[in-house]
Amino acid sequence: MLEVKNLTKRFGDLTAVNDISFSVGQGEIFGLLGENGAGKTTTLRLLATMLKPTSGMATLNGYDLISEPDKVRSSIGILFGGESGLYDRLTAAENIAYFGELNNMSRQEIRKRISELGEAFDMTEYMDRKTGKFSKGMKQKVAFARSIVHNPVIMLFDEPTSGLDVSAIRNVHDFIMACKDAGKTIVLSSHNMNEVEKLCDRIGIIHKGRLVATGSIPQLLEEHGGSSLEEVFMKLVGDRNEF
Amino acid sequence: MNFRHMLTVFKKEVKDLVRDRKTIISNLVIPIILMPLLFTIMSGSMEKMEQDITENITVGLTTGSDTQEIRNLLEKEIFAGKPQIKLNGVFDDPVEAVRNNEVRFVLDVEKNFAANLEAEQPYSITVIYDQSDTKSSGSFGILAAAINEYSQKIVLERLAKKGIDTSILEPVKIVQSNAASEKANKNLMLMMILPMLISILVAVGGIPAATDLVAGEKERGTFEPLLTTQSSRMSILLGKYLTVTLFSIVSVISQFIGLAIGAAVSPGFFTMGRGGGDLSVYVPPLALVLIILITISLGMVFAALQLAVSTFAKSFKEAQTYLSFFIFVAMVPAYATMMMQPDDISLSMFFIPLLNSIASLKMVLGNVINYSYLGIALGTSAIYVVASLLFAASLFNKEQVLFRS
Repeated sequence: MLEVKNLTKRFGDLTAVNDISFSVGQGEIFGLLGENGAGKTTTLRLLATMLKPTSGMATLNGYDLISEPDKVRSSIGILFGGESGLYDRLTAAENIAYFGELNNMSRQEIRKRISELGEAFDMTEYMDRKTGKFSKGMKQKVAFARSIVHNPVIMLFDEPTSGLDVSAIRNVHDFIMACKDAGKTIVLSSHNMNEVEKLCDRIGIIHKGRLVATGSIPQLLEEHGGSSLEEVFMKLVGDRNEF
Repeated sequence: MNFRHMLTVFKKEVKDLVRDRKTIISNLVIPIILMPLLFTIMSGSMEKMEQDITENITVGLTTGSDTQEIRNLLEKEIFAGKPQIKLNGVFDDPVEAVRNNEVRFVLDVEKNFAANLEAEQPYSITVIYDQSDTKSSGSFGILAAAINEYSQKIVLERLAKKGIDTSILEPVKIVQSNAASEKANKNLMLMMILPMLISILVAVGGIPAATDLVAGEKERGTFEPLLTTQSSRMSILLGKYLTVTLFSIVSVISQFIGLAIGAAVSPGFFTMGRGGGDLSVYVPPLALVLIILITISLGMVFAALQLAVSTFAKSFKEAQTYLSFFIFVAMVPAYATMMMQPDDISLSMFFIPLLNSIASLKMVLGNVINYSYLGIALGTSAIYVVASLLFAASLFNKEQVLFRS
């Protein structure tokens, strides 16, 4: 469903993503674990077609990242950062419809989808209210609905719980699991060990743009020796840090 | 580029901005209310000042001039029939008296003036006043005219006594004939103010929208999801570009509504006391169309440049800071050409951005219309529109700019 081969991104002299390769199957959650500045966001921005790779390639839902960016975008949904990022002066329905329209959905399709999402996220009663005065939880639901309005098969989550409180984090986790249950292919970037351990089927540890290890948690523990993911992470990343 | 996507972005941005009270207040309400209010206050204070200058002229005497003879000279001769000039007080220190506004003028009349008058010899009247004071310098002409009138009267009496024809005093008579139409005279203020006002308003009107539409999106976290929709970046940019252009033009229109209300409330302000409140300007239809197109083009150039700056900015605040410089960019040429008359405009001005719009407006308002020049202004404006849009598009597509951190 998602295949990355030797993907590299350079900004001048800086190599933000360095020759990384991994694949993610349908209904699988792949976690990109790394410290701040390791290259997680750049990798996800590359997969979301926001940035063009310097070299390498990737296919998402069978579409080539470089030659078919429009089709790639039709297959992906994103949730970047902990903040919901809504238009405060638009209603919840208008926020969702805007992204539906820009994803080539017809008005009829959008209306139907808004009604489905309203019920799925239990937000029918406030669908026609402006989001500016919503609680954090309500805003989160609108952002979730917006990200899947066009029913993407692949979901990209970049640090989706950063800066959120406990209940908001729980909502995000539930949403990710719901996406998995719906058979979506998921890439989740995080620097939070517990989150990755809890949600991901397989993990890629990224450090200074390089993917230094890939596998399920038991595989990583076995291959690199250690009693916890944190120990493995420190072994792989801590040793390579220059002080 | 997808037209449907562009339209979707445009409609959404307009809806979003129209619902923003701040935008509505600053772009629509304030100009419509503030302009008439400003003109009423300015016009009122100008009228009061004018009234004070012409109708309330107080004159004192130096201690040395305080004699009944001098008082009679002033009250019964020089100020006779001029109730607006009033003799008021005697002052030891005349300089201090005028500086402290106790009186507008202090006169020092030569003591032996009567003897000089009798002997047909000249005598002097010293007028002590504060030239830095608007009212004193404004009233001086009226006082000087009164003294001159008296002086003329004496001259005529002396010549008559000697049996000399008074026409010898005026060998050449100056007859003034004003070639300017009544309208042109009245439109002088409009010709000075409108081009300046329009260029500044076009530059400023789109700033709040431009700031919000890219830098604001980045800060709110809505920009990245927007870039991952199936809409191309060009469609997104053009939708936003049309919104900024629309708001800059709407801002100009609302300022004009304000100006029109202001002109109706205080017509005297615009005609600078040249009388009448008829400010109608006849502009031939073709010239009107050209001037509207040139002004819209100017708005489009500013919209593209402002979006480019907003794209470059890392945050809302940074965008606000950079965009505030646009006010100065528009103000410098606007003020520099404020006093320029339509006849002074050179051909080269029609090739320079911003100056071409100002020059075209001045030409049309001054009723000195040269269609070739207007055509050049429109042609160069179109080139600048394309160039500025290409510049904005190149920045909007540049990863290093878009994700600058």
